[in-house]
Amino acid sequence: MKPHPDAAANPPPDPDDVDDDGIGGVHIKYLLHCPRQLWLYSHGYRPEARNEAVAFGEVVDDTTYRRHHDIDLGAAKIDWVTRGAVVHETKSSRQPSPQHEAQVRHYCLLLARRGVNVRGGVVHYPLIRRTTRVAWDDTARRAAETAEAQARQVSAAATPPPRLPRASCRGCSYRDYCWGDS
Amino acid sequence: MSASGQSYWLTEPCRIRREDNSIRIERADRTPVRIPITDIRDLVVFDNADINTAAVSLLSRHRITVHLLDHYGNYAGALTPAEDMSSAHVVRAQVTLTADPVARLAVARALVGATAANVAWALDTDLLAGPLERLPAQVRACADAEELMGIEGNFRRTAWGVLDTLLPPWLRLGGRSRRPPSNAGNAFISYLNAITYARVLTAIRCTPLHPAIGFLHADSDRRRNTLALDLAEPFKPLLAERLLRRAAAQRTLTAADFVSDVRSASLSTAGRKKVSIMVREELATTVHHRQLKRKVSYEELIHLEALKLVRLCLEGTPYKPFRPWW
Repeated sequence: MKPHPDAAANPPPDPDDVDDDGIGGVHIKYLLHCPRQLWLYSHGYRPEARNEAVAFGEVVDDTTYRRHHDIDLGAAKIDWVTRGAVVHETKSSRQPSPQHEAQVRHYCLLLARRGVNVRGGVVHYPLIRRTTRVAWDDTARRAAETAEAQARQVSAAATPPPRLPRASCRGCSYRDYCWGDS
Repeated sequence: MSASGQSYWLTEPCRIRREDNSIRIERADRTPVRIPITDIRDLVVFDNADINTAAVSLLSRHRITVHLLDHYGNYAGALTPAEDMSSAHVVRAQVTLTADPVARLAVARALVGATAANVAWALDTDLLAGPLERLPAQVRACADAEELMGIEGNFRRTAWGVLDTLLPPWLRLGGRSRRPPSNAGNAFISYLNAITYARVLTAIRCTPLHPAIGFLHADSDRRRNTLALDLAEPFKPLLAERLLRRAAAQRTLTAADFVSDVRSASLSTAGRKKVSIMVREELATTVHHRQLKRKVSYEELIHLEALKLVRLCLEGTPYKPFRPWW
């Protein structure tokens, strides 16, 4: 029998599979964007569901590279991995950014820890039809480990880091929270 | 609660169906309306509606709440998503705050003060200046939330009296009565209060807060969403009292829009429709927000209010309830 469409989209969570204190790709991206955003995210405030930019990113992800399937590592969800263990990540941005590379490096680190012999990563920007290669070597590994340690430190802090200068908050889904006191 | 999706207000009897990944609204003798699921933030149902499991599961997956109002405008209930946005960390902070009498009373006092000021603002009158001046001292003297509610009730009674002087005879309240409302004015206020409550509940569900853990209203007597009742207080004058005055001044509503009995009154189908149009327009009204430096709608103001409480729970930022600044 064909599974019901809801079953595929919303699988029941497997209690053994959940790794809550794990640092995922989003944590790393937020750390580099704004530590405060990371703190709020890891403390349960997640307004992205209502954000248009995030919804747009999901649509871009859904409508590009449709032959590939994502790989769920619990805390992180890798867009797809090709032969020889190259990690791929799709971004709806039109502007390549170090945050995206750091996210891919983090995925490489997670795979390497699981014993996969990772060769490197690629960030795809379908909207500008460009890709960026991300190297995976000792320097990259150290960078990934430092970022992960920093992310843990920020999430474990008792109080959130201060707001960034306002101009950096453009387009952030946490802006209403951070700047909305009247 | 930013731009993604909007509230749909169903004012006629209808059937809510699922068609692929859309919601199809079927009304008697009309072609069905199809709404993409991503365009819905929530549904407000004013009349009888039929819904089935397929539709409920689609709505639930997209975190959409369906608010049901009964014939008299009481909040009849809601279909809520199976998993909500609540976060253990925030809810724990919320519980700790509400369990601490000092912190709880501080928020409750702020709410009562702001609500009274907003009532005076909505009625746009000097007749409430006296009671408003005495209020801060009375609020400070209160030892618990129950006394605060008493003081709020007294102020409200004075305000209802003042409101009556601004209304035509057929819309006057003559004392507030609920369940069921005794006359047209009371029916209108009850209806608007139920809608405000539904809007606040939606806003709270978009945050990690738990809607049942509140500060001002007693949480022991009945099971209800106390926090939504609390946060609705400062917004009720903005919507209910102000719209009642406007409906009277502009003659939007007539006595024929109410179904009146000896001891009870309710809005007729046509009246409900008129009111829902008024409220939708009112909620879409925008004002310039000085901190965000952009226009925000009244609907978003409710969301920003809920975020203030998230800030209180996560960071301990003191809560300053909403007061119109325009």
